[in-house]
Amino acid sequence: MSDPERVSDPERLFQELSDAVVEMEEERAAALARRAVAEGVDAYTAIDRGLVHGMGRASQLFEEEDYFIPELLLCSDAMYAGLAVLQPHLRRDAHAVKPKVVIGVVEGDTHDIGKNLVKIMLDASGFQVVDLGRDVPPQRFVDAAVAEGARIVALSTLMTTTMDGMAEVVRLLEAAGVRERFRVMIGGGPISQAFATRIGADGYSANAAEAVRLAKRLIDVPAPVPELSA
Amino acid sequence: MTDLTPKARLLKVLRKEPVDRPPVICTGGMMNAAIVEIMERTGHTLPRAHFDDRLMTALAEDVTDATGFENLGVPFCMTVEAELLGSEIDPGTLACEPKIRREVFPSVSRVEYQDVRVLAGSGRIQTVVAAAGRLARAHPDLPVIASLTGPVSTTASIVDPMSFLKELRKDPEGAHRALDYVTDLLVEYARLALAAGATAIAIGDPTATGEILGPKMFEAFALRHLNELTDRVHALGAPVILHICGDLKRVRALLPQLRADALSTDAMLSLKGLKAEFPELTTMGNLSTYLLQSGGREQVAGRARQLVRNGVDIISPACGLSTSTALATIAAMTAAVKET
Repeated sequence: MSDPERVSDPERLFQELSDAVVEMEEERAAALARRAVAEGVDAYTAIDRGLVHGMGRASQLFEEEDYFIPELLLCSDAMYAGLAVLQPHLRRDAHAVKPKVVIGVVEGDTHDIGKNLVKIMLDASGFQVVDLGRDVPPQRFVDAAVAEGARIVALSTLMTTTMDGMAEVVRLLEAAGVRERFRVMIGGGPISQAFATRIGADGYSANAAEAVRLAKRLIDVPAPVPELSA
Repeated sequence: MTDLTPKARLLKVLRKEPVDRPPVICTGGMMNAAIVEIMERTGHTLPRAHFDDRLMTALAEDVTDATGFENLGVPFCMTVEAELLGSEIDPGTLACEPKIRREVFPSVSRVEYQDVRVLAGSGRIQTVVAAAGRLARAHPDLPVIASLTGPVSTTASIVDPMSFLKELRKDPEGAHRALDYVTDLLVEYARLALAAGATAIAIGDPTATGEILGPKMFEAFALRHLNELTDRVHALGAPVILHICGDLKRVRALLPQLRADALSTDAMLSLKGLKAEFPELTTMGNLSTYLLQSGGREQVAGRARQLVRNGVDIISPACGLSTSTALATIAAMTAAVKET
């Protein structure tokens, strides 16, 4: 590894930012981001080709089962550490309007590891994520989706006992006459595509990496640069 | 062998001795059959029964009477241990089990260590132990199973789970220390339940999966602490049933290293295949709880018979049951096994 204080060419810096994320090195990611700022490297490009690039590689390793949840969480910590440094230096015109996702764990379930992973991966893929947390009553998803002008409502549960809450959200969206405004995606241990179809959700994904592809497919939008949504 | 009591049959299977047919059980804890239909009929209801040993006893009896499962199982949730260790719980409702409202510690380094012997003598461990004692005294022919929440899941219920998962890498020593502490409490809990008359200890550890941890972390943390707990329960003279969630793909090679007396798995796994690969394994499961909730009686009975034909050693639901599952479907499952 090279010394982060040394002046280098931007291409090399992007690679090092990407590597710091993949290698789960939070402090190095922050130090490299500070160097990018000091050297006048464009913040948008440093995020896109450095941090987000690294998170994409981490996601790939996750899908290849080289990385698991602990590793993915540490990679995201490194990404966020770099983002915290670079974000204030984004040029105003780089703040594209990002599609909003309202996400949460349905009522009755407080297991939020999966939801948090999906949130991180969406965050890193150009979505603005509004996190309602865990144990969320169905009506709150509807209210938040309307209030935020979200494009997607993402529901998670790990428990067989709380799957019905997902169907309830879809029913409430329909009852409020706003179902067509949103795409509903669901996931979690006991969930399947068959269940998604049955309750009238728009899509199901088995893991966080798949969730990103699903979200992009559902709203058919190329993803712009990420920002911290929490 | 026809006059084998359910208790003798289960104990024989757990000792790998031949029996007339597999037992059909539901351990309690993570995997409990306290469905709304039963509670509404008898009036012994949750959430009150989580906090009252007489009601817990009555509900466990109701479940066994109504479903035909060949055991008594307590408690009816996975929050007993974490609550005692300081996490705030939501007691749930009739149809919804209790859950952790907030994990008490932000990281493993902040865990406040207390004397587990003192802890185990208090709180809802005492409720469960008292219920197990009553059940054992009243039903000498039925196995009483005390169900514990495994070390990884309990630790992830007292330490913020996101921090905990990261600290498995960042602070492995701190993570092991917290897991050791939780394991000590679980052993003490098991000791009290067994002393009160429980027949076997079941461990459900849904956070300890290959999908979440990956094979390396599973081996370093889950396997180590599950085996330590198992060994210490064995030293107390009781068998251990272990439930592992997920498809086991990533940790399959590690399964022979688990020292529990029976391994219970999720529905997506072929127990026939597992037995073929590891003939020495005593398998338990794995009737889909999804099928139990949405399938018909005939379909469920057919699946139960198939599990018996496949040589599954203990027949049971594959996971936590939905509280809206119909009683008739569960009864069809147990009847089908008993007819074989």
